[in-house]
Amino acid sequence: MASRIAEHPILGVQEKGKLVLFKFDGKEIEGFEGEPIAVSLKAQGLMVHRYTKKEHKPRGVFCAIGRCTDCVMIVDGVPNVRTCITPLREGMDVRTQYGVSDKPFE
Amino acid sequence: MKRYDLVIVGAGPSGLSAAIEAAKRGMEVIIFDENEKPGGQLFKQIHKFFGSKEHHAKIRGFKIGQELLKEANELGVEVVLNATVIGLYDDKEITVKIGDGINHYKGDAVIVATGAAENMVTFPGWTLPGVIGAGAAQTMMNLHGIKPGNKVLMLGSGNVGLVVSFQLMQAGCEVVALVDAAPRVGGYGVHAAKVARCGVPFYLSHTIKEVEGDEFVTGVTINQVDSSFIPIPDTEKHFDVDTVCMAVGLSPMSQLLKMAGCEMEDNPKRGGQVPIIDDYGRTSVPGIIAAGDVSGIEEASSAMIEGRMAGICAAEYLGYCTKEELEENLKILEDDLESLRQGMFAPKNRGKLIEKTEEGIDISTNLLEKGYISEKEIERYPGVTHKVGIHPVIECTQNIPCNPCQDACKKGCISIGANITNLPIVKTEGNCINCGMCVASCSGQAIFLVDEDTGDGSSTVTMPYEFIPLPEVGDKGFGLNRKGEKICEAEVVSVRAVKAFDHTNLLTIKVPKEYAMKARFFKALA
Repeated sequence: MASRIAEHPILGVQEKGKLVLFKFDGKEIEGFEGEPIAVSLKAQGLMVHRYTKKEHKPRGVFCAIGRCTDCVMIVDGVPNVRTCITPLREGMDVRTQYGVSDKPFE
Repeated sequence: MKRYDLVIVGAGPSGLSAAIEAAKRGMEVIIFDENEKPGGQLFKQIHKFFGSKEHHAKIRGFKIGQELLKEANELGVEVVLNATVIGLYDDKEITVKIGDGINHYKGDAVIVATGAAENMVTFPGWTLPGVIGAGAAQTMMNLHGIKPGNKVLMLGSGNVGLVVSFQLMQAGCEVVALVDAAPRVGGYGVHAAKVARCGVPFYLSHTIKEVEGDEFVTGVTINQVDSSFIPIPDTEKHFDVDTVCMAVGLSPMSQLLKMAGCEMEDNPKRGGQVPIIDDYGRTSVPGIIAAGDVSGIEEASSAMIEGRMAGICAAEYLGYCTKEELEENLKILEDDLESLRQGMFAPKNRGKLIEKTEEGIDISTNLLEKGYISEKEIERYPGVTHKVGIHPVIECTQNIPCNPCQDACKKGCISIGANITNLPIVKTEGNCINCGMCVASCSGQAIFLVDEDTGDGSSTVTMPYEFIPLPEVGDKGFGLNRKGEKICEAEVVSVRAVKAFDHTNLLTIKVPKEYAMKARFFKALA
């Protein structure tokens, strides 16, 4: 699975915020404070951010700069949060979005 | 409502450059940018830029970004981040969304430097997680330090597709193929060649048939297309990948200009819907100026010049500089911009098939169709000459605006001349001292130092090497040819990593004599 770049030939070792815990669908996982939520998820190999309302198709990161809105999730109870540009904070509650709800489709 | 002399939308290369010129002339300037960090795409550009000294050549993009930001800050430019400009109305009134609120501003002059958005193509499976834009790949790996995927297929052979493919490998990803529906590589040959020699196969006249996977990408199938881009039956090839990356062009984000009532046009040569502007970016609405990709897709170097022009035009519009000063400055900048817009890849040549260089030498068809120059073709270029002892071999075979190699050599080995798109000439009367500065200065990584006969049946080849782990002296492995195939045994005899090379390390390998002009990359024994 995709993982963090330990050392980069041009950029060296990336500076990150402190390692914090947050929740993904109720499960506690780790990420670096201040990095986009989507990056923390990707580091854990989590690719699916939401399922579309009509056809229930999976979606994940596409543009990574807050433009396409494919990566939106429910963050601290608010739906349609663009996770690729929303910084991770300790204790955040991040949930897969089904349509605009956090309830999986029947 | 707060009023400013100049409101700039977008803190990328052109917006920052505009702000610097305007603030220098005493204007009160504010920049709004929707992103969390300024610099636009510059901070994702980890490669060395092309051009001449005036264009920041051989400096990596993110460093140019740091310099621009520093200069803008010192001049007191106010940069407001996480601020999305959502409206540009009559009398240059501007609405900006900051947090959950809408804020109201007015600029006596406005520069729109909003840049461009990525294009995409659709195919079955294109919405699956794991299909991403090339910009997304750059953002993930170069800003946030995470691999976009482990095995990646790149769609698009323009400069973005080529540069990002190389960056993916630098980040430790495997690039399984580079695919483009066009029959020829769209970007610089030197960018293609540095990807090809790492062993990435190029599939021109191919496109994606479908991407497979239920929840995320698990594979991709490509097929060949004919000259009308119709798929040819039974030409499918399958790759197991976890990521498909699209680099299929950019479109100007010109909506604000349209909203402001600027006259617009659809211009395919400039990338789509663009404002009608004069030579310096001034739109049909007095005091509204466009700069950078929003007025036509080019690249960051020209965006910076256009930004500076726009900043000076705004200053003159409000009386912060005289008409004479304006004209004098614009003339210099126009010459700078014009020199970047020369050569085979100039905007005016977009879509044209160029078969000969300006010197009248046939362009390598292999380079255009497969991404690397064949051994038969390489000898015809003026950068490829032979002499006893160490000498540079410059595999730069297309007219692109770039000349740092000429300045790097203090020993008279390399000549480009006043016209910066000329192919570099390696002069046999030059006295190469093996300093390596030319190798490290070449943004295209197209210069090698070769000693064709070291006297013991071997030759040495020094190459630029921007990967980790950096091999060590004594490491054994293979010499790879321009296509990335193992062709001979090789041993590392020297590794140079000095500050002046700016992370372009120099790796020297010893190979049998007959491979001096064939071995162009090194792969260590696993």
